[in-house]
Amino acid sequence: MQQLLSLLRPRSAMAGAAAAAGGGGGGDRAAARYPLDAGSYRLLCKIGSGVSAVVYKAVCLPLGSAVVAIKAIDLERTRANLDEVWREAKAMALLSHRNVLRAHCSFTVGSHLWVVMPFMGAGSLHSILSHGFPDGLPEQCIAVVLKETLRALCYLHEQGRIHRDIKAGNILVDSDGSVKLADFGVSASIYETAPATSSAFSGPIHAPSAVVSSSCFNDMAGTPYWMAPEVIHSHVGYGIKADIWSFGITALELAHGRPPLSHLPPSKSMLMRITSRVRLEDAESSARKKKFSKAFKDMVSSCLCQEPAKRPSAEKLLRHPFFKGCRSSDYLVRNVLAAVPSVEERCKDSNQLCGCARGARCLSPCRHANSVVKNRRISGWNFNEESFELDPTEKTEPQPFFLYHDDDNDRLEHDQATSSTRGDGSNSPPSPPPRRQADNAEKRQEGEEALTAAVVPHLVTILESLEMQRTVVMQVLEGGGGGDGDGDGETAAGEEMLLGYVRQLEQRVQELSTEVEEEMARNAQLQELLHERECGNHTDSSQT
Amino acid sequence: MKGLFKSKPRTPADVVRQTRELLVFLDLHSGSRGGDAKREEKMAELSKNIRELKSILYGNGESEPVTEACVQLTQEFFRENTLRLLIICLPKLNLETRKDATQVVANLQRQQVSSKIVASEYLEANKDLLDTLISGYENMDIALHYGSMLRECIRHQSIARYVLESDHMKKFFDYIQLPNFDIASDASATFKELLTRHKATVAEFLSNNYDWFFSEFNSRLLSSTNYITKRQAIKLLGDMLLDRSNSAVMMRYVSSKDNLMILMNLLRDSSKNIQIEAFHVFKLFAANKNKPPEVVNILVTNRSKLLRFFAGFKIDKEDEQFEADKEQVIMEISAL
Repeated sequence: MQQLLSLLRPRSAMAGAAAAAGGGGGGDRAAARYPLDAGSYRLLCKIGSGVSAVVYKAVCLPLGSAVVAIKAIDLERTRANLDEVWREAKAMALLSHRNVLRAHCSFTVGSHLWVVMPFMGAGSLHSILSHGFPDGLPEQCIAVVLKETLRALCYLHEQGRIHRDIKAGNILVDSDGSVKLADFGVSASIYETAPATSSAFSGPIHAPSAVVSSSCFNDMAGTPYWMAPEVIHSHVGYGIKADIWSFGITALELAHGRPPLSHLPPSKSMLMRITSRVRLEDAESSARKKKFSKAFKDMVSSCLCQEPAKRPSAEKLLRHPFFKGCRSSDYLVRNVLAAVPSVEERCKDSNQLCGCARGARCLSPCRHANSVVKNRRISGWNFNEESFELDPTEKTEPQPFFLYHDDDNDRLEHDQATSSTRGDGSNSPPSPPPRRQADNAEKRQEGEEALTAAVVPHLVTILESLEMQRTVVMQVLEGGGGGDGDGDGETAAGEEMLLGYVRQLEQRVQELSTEVEEEMARNAQLQELLHERECGNHTDSSQT
Repeated sequence: MKGLFKSKPRTPADVVRQTRELLVFLDLHSGSRGGDAKREEKMAELSKNIRELKSILYGNGESEPVTEACVQLTQEFFRENTLRLLIICLPKLNLETRKDATQVVANLQRQQVSSKIVASEYLEANKDLLDTLISGYENMDIALHYGSMLRECIRHQSIARYVLESDHMKKFFDYIQLPNFDIASDASATFKELLTRHKATVAEFLSNNYDWFFSEFNSRLLSSTNYITKRQAIKLLGDMLLDRSNSAVMMRYVSSKDNLMILMNLLRDSSKNIQIEAFHVFKLFAANKNKPPEVVNILVTNRSKLLRFFAGFKIDKEDEQFEADKEQVIMEISAL
């Protein structure tokens, strides 16, 4: 029942995250030299943020102010339990390949986990796309980054490890053009046994039911648009070929600036993938001017084969003609990196609301302001709206190292007040905090109106698309279950599965309709607040 | 058997034998460092062999593991001291080979030869190997590899008992507070496995070692200033006390006013997660039908504060069990 919901869960929105610079490729862990205390590092500025983590550019003082990236994960807010966080840290510590991001070290600071990583000066490919190539990268550049990514995949797969979340947002580029694959939040090892998750009475009651345990293959993991059909058909279980699918989708994302079917809401796009094929042309229609080589199209379509067994292995893909005569990383520096602002610059844009982008110790996560801006810019596919649904609503005490902005606290209070009306404690799409500083007030009011205008139609669209999905599934059911992707043979089982889908979707539709209603009420409420303020009435609005 | 394949492809037993020879060589020639070409060559060969052992045990991309081959491999592996050599030489191997070796050792713990777990018998006769594995937590380079092997070894009840009854148990209180997150968490996972996996053995250990164990547990873990240590410890305490097999220990724990005070302080912790885990232990104090007077005393003294606290104590997710437990606790305290 919860499967669809868990699919929509945001997998680390750490799009702009940085990391990883040169250093020796293999061999022993040089990481041992990095100190394990916060005092040895000085945070310079924020370069990325997600639901429960912030990435900073920082320097390590005892090591001659070596530049690093520090991912600060708020363990109180993260939906993963500590075991999952540990599994990710361990995976990162034990991987050693020049195309795979490896942590220098990790340690806790209050209730935050600091993961110290190499700093990747050019940020993620997703961030590069949105800051300089909204319609995609030139084909030769795509070949360079994909080839490096494939090398990382070869390594991971040879290790028996599945990444499960390949996408542009997880491919990082350094200022010298070197490429590294990052984020092992949901990676799984086929050599690892499932942990004993028995805990007599208490159970993980603080974790929402949609939490993904990373060692079980039947769990949903990944980000909707990049997910392979057999991952969606979670009961089948899946192997390394799921990564190849996501790799194909990533290729399209790099070619067009966004993944295919991203004009549809995620659940819809998932159904499309179960019932039909993703074709290169789907995406091409939106960017007709672009012409791609036959080799590229052939490479992509081989990855996007419905049947996992027919997709080539990473190793085989590496020998594909598309990667013959591939340019060097310098080519990437000259043709791509030169055209986009630095990570710091990019971050300044989204930081301006909190005015803390300047050097010094910028310690305020300012998640809220940042996520609103981000959200609106890329709402077509990142679906942070959905993410807020699972965002914990408790008010966290200010930690000694992370003093939250006033705005942030206001928002939490406000969320708590409204969440009591929405039964399951699910959060609403982001809404700006009611109380604002006077000088910024006007600008933000505009933002709020725009948001109100954007959110309601969006929810309505989701609702509509779910209705459509239901109809589609019904049709398929009546037609004899022909559209079932993998179930050749057992039609009974296929039908049962489809029925399951229908039930799931029906439930989801219902949930969403109540959500839309609540959202409208909430927006009305916000508008009222705005109105009040316009009249110069400065009462403490967070009480409403 | 051996004669059949003489010169042609190597049998699994051949691979084990060759691995052992290479390990012996490596063990003897450990001193010479640097540009030793011969040593390099042997190392490369060893890495290849260990990888082959892995693919026999786990299968490779194309094929599933073959039972007969696994049996042969396991038999040969434990016929002599290959496991010992592999563990001792692990620090000398490169990262990739260490990982392969760890996976091989993990897999071997489950292999059966004529329905007997050979690995268990071998370890029982070579318990000092566990001492070596545990001390790995003091060496950053190998801690994660030895830690993984160790957790696989304590799947055997007799081995878990050995570790529980050894002095190593005291060391774990240090290991789980190491500053390095990966290693501290690994130690913590092992600690938890030791204290929850083999129910009867754990119950016996806790009864026999009640005093020192819970005194350490309370003072070093539950009262730690480290967030992770506290959060993991309170979760583990709940898991232990709520397990039916530990009911005698649980009764003893909830009859102590000192324990109650620690738990009540954890209820006030700034972390919601810690508060919730603490609640699952606190409820046992409240539900105890034979509360000693000093426990009653504390609860009565703090009654109004406690009731006020529970009135506002909520979790994000709807949880009927939690609400029911909370109701019961409120009732118990009000009725005192």
